[in-house]
Amino acid sequence: MLLVVPNPNPGQTNVNIITQSGITINEILDKIDRNMEKKVDLLHLKVIIFERSVAEKGLSQSIESFMRARDISDKTFAAISDGPLEPLFDKLQSASESSGTETYDYFEKNAGWSPEVVQTRIWEVFRSMNSFTRDDVIPIVKPGLSTTIESAGSAVIRNGKMVGVIDSEESLLYNLFKGAGTQGKIEVMDHATVKIVADRLNRSSAMQKGRAIMKGKLRLKVTVLETVGSPTEAQIKSEIDEQLSAHFEAMLEAAQAKEADILGLGQYFRDKLSRDDLRQWRTKYYPFMKFEFKVHVIIQDEGLLKTNN
Amino acid sequence: MDKSRQTIVMFWITHIGLIFFLYPADIIDSLSVGHWCAVLLGFSIHIALVAVYTKGLSYCAPQNVIDLFQSVGRVFAFAMLLPLTLYLFLLMIITVRAYAEIVTVVFLGNTPLWTIMLLFLAVSAFICLLGIESLFRTGMLVMLLFFPFLILVVVLSFQNADWHYMLPLMDRDTATFAYVLRRPFLKSMFAFIGGFLFLGFIPSRISFQGRKIVLSSLGLIPFFLVSVYVPLLTFGENTASKFPFPYIAAVDTVDVSWLMFDRVTMFFMISMLCFVILFLSLAMWMALLLLKRGIPALNDPSASLLLIAIVYSVCLLVPNWSAVERLMWWNTFPRYYAAFVIPLVVYALGMRHRRKEPVRA
Repeated sequence: MLLVVPNPNPGQTNVNIITQSGITINEILDKIDRNMEKKVDLLHLKVIIFERSVAEKGLSQSIESFMRARDISDKTFAAISDGPLEPLFDKLQSASESSGTETYDYFEKNAGWSPEVVQTRIWEVFRSMNSFTRDDVIPIVKPGLSTTIESAGSAVIRNGKMVGVIDSEESLLYNLFKGAGTQGKIEVMDHATVKIVADRLNRSSAMQKGRAIMKGKLRLKVTVLETVGSPTEAQIKSEIDEQLSAHFEAMLEAAQAKEADILGLGQYFRDKLSRDDLRQWRTKYYPFMKFEFKVHVIIQDEGLLKTNN
Repeated sequence: MDKSRQTIVMFWITHIGLIFFLYPADIIDSLSVGHWCAVLLGFSIHIALVAVYTKGLSYCAPQNVIDLFQSVGRVFAFAMLLPLTLYLFLLMIITVRAYAEIVTVVFLGNTPLWTIMLLFLAVSAFICLLGIESLFRTGMLVMLLFFPFLILVVVLSFQNADWHYMLPLMDRDTATFAYVLRRPFLKSMFAFIGGFLFLGFIPSRISFQGRKIVLSSLGLIPFFLVSVYVPLLTFGENTASKFPFPYIAAVDTVDVSWLMFDRVTMFFMISMLCFVILFLSLAMWMALLLLKRGIPALNDPSASLLLIAIVYSVCLLVPNWSAVERLMWWNTFPRYYAAFVIPLVVYALGMRHRRKEPVRA
């Protein structure tokens, strides 16, 4: 385990990195406490980064101990490091200009967050561990080449175990589903580049002959940033539709294959299935669920230049 | 003078202080679907009891419960009030011990329990020694200061609600009321019962209208529902049942960037504790009244010292949380006695009193 501790001095802030290893997290904390001249207080711990190998073995025990611990806030962000932790933390130390809060700023909505990055908090992972109808994703980070942290998509977590990966585009769709907001995201296509200004998603669910069917209609408001050649408005719309639908289907298929209901779609069937059926949602219904996804695009404006209709 | 408003405020404070900690866990434990049903059932029992109790009290207006029972006979009064005294003692012990434990679990991890318990008892004894009027006035002040915080936290706690967890509304288990005899449900009734007995003890110079009390208690329904449903909507039933204090856990997940405190829970806990301390001093005041009637040689300060000494020493003897839970279960029987027998007997005596009255005139 490694701890990044900002060490604020008047004038400048240094970052200390403390390393210790052990079997359980509390054992490690105890060791750190023993060897340090200060007391370790985790009340203001903001981000917990797990190594990928740890996540693949299962996070349940750690997450449970975080929830149990009274000093770690349930709102702490969870993240997974793509490679070993040491290079990431070395990078954090060498690039610590903004008082050692880079990792937190990276996930914080008012600072450096962007819609392709998933925000997952400890309590959400805990909820998904015990839920019949909901799994979770955790963002994956790695040390960047020119920036401190680089996004590498998100990990699909099923019952506290990392079972797969979705890429950044798919993470955006996940955020869209979660209602986390995708404003400001830029979509690049063959003939145009647009920026999403507003999004709304309507969902309806039904059971037909023991098979779950779900309809989703996404309404996007976009503004045109750039065009290649001279595409018509209809062309731009259909390109957005195609691109998002393709991404969405790919993500859903991958998730269904892993039996991980990352979008929490089972939630929409809570009143349509009995409790015993819900218990088997992941294995019996979810993998065979049909999802009809439609995108409805409104081009709000075209910037300061006209496009031809 | 009509002091209905102050009485209503006290009534609200005592209930709200009890609702948010243990009540949701009990309800979530007692059934898995359709929790609203259990909440509303408990609440309708509560409202019926309050209505019967206030009606009975209004029939024998200037007398309080002790006078009323004594007018029947000394032995009768002793037999009726002894279980009630036992109930009040257990109630104080449980409240002090349980809330001290909650405080250490939620935010004062390094503070020894005995200091927290001593603080609770000392503050509430001080308020209670100043007399019932100042207790009521403190209630008004606490309400004005902390109620806005409470409302703020209640509104914010819906931040992570996923309304799909509300469904399904009903299943066979809930519809047949199979949960009624389950232990957690029986225990959950404490939130409905502890708070209204004081209405029969306040002296006649603080008069109130029973109808207003009953009407105002309807306003408590949202708080009961919120305390159970916010954790359910945030975590889902499976996860919510894993927390000893589900509402606190749900409030812990609230993330508000514009608030100066990182954890809204602190706000909430501190306002709740003020409510609980007032509840405690009210219970202490009732117990003192009974104690002084039973042993007339005692004066106010010595009686309260005796009371604190007893409660505190029993609290120190309670070793852990499971012992607290066992105590709560033991208190169920005196509690049901206090909740059902006292109001019904008061009502019966009130009816008799009223029938006698015109003859005498």
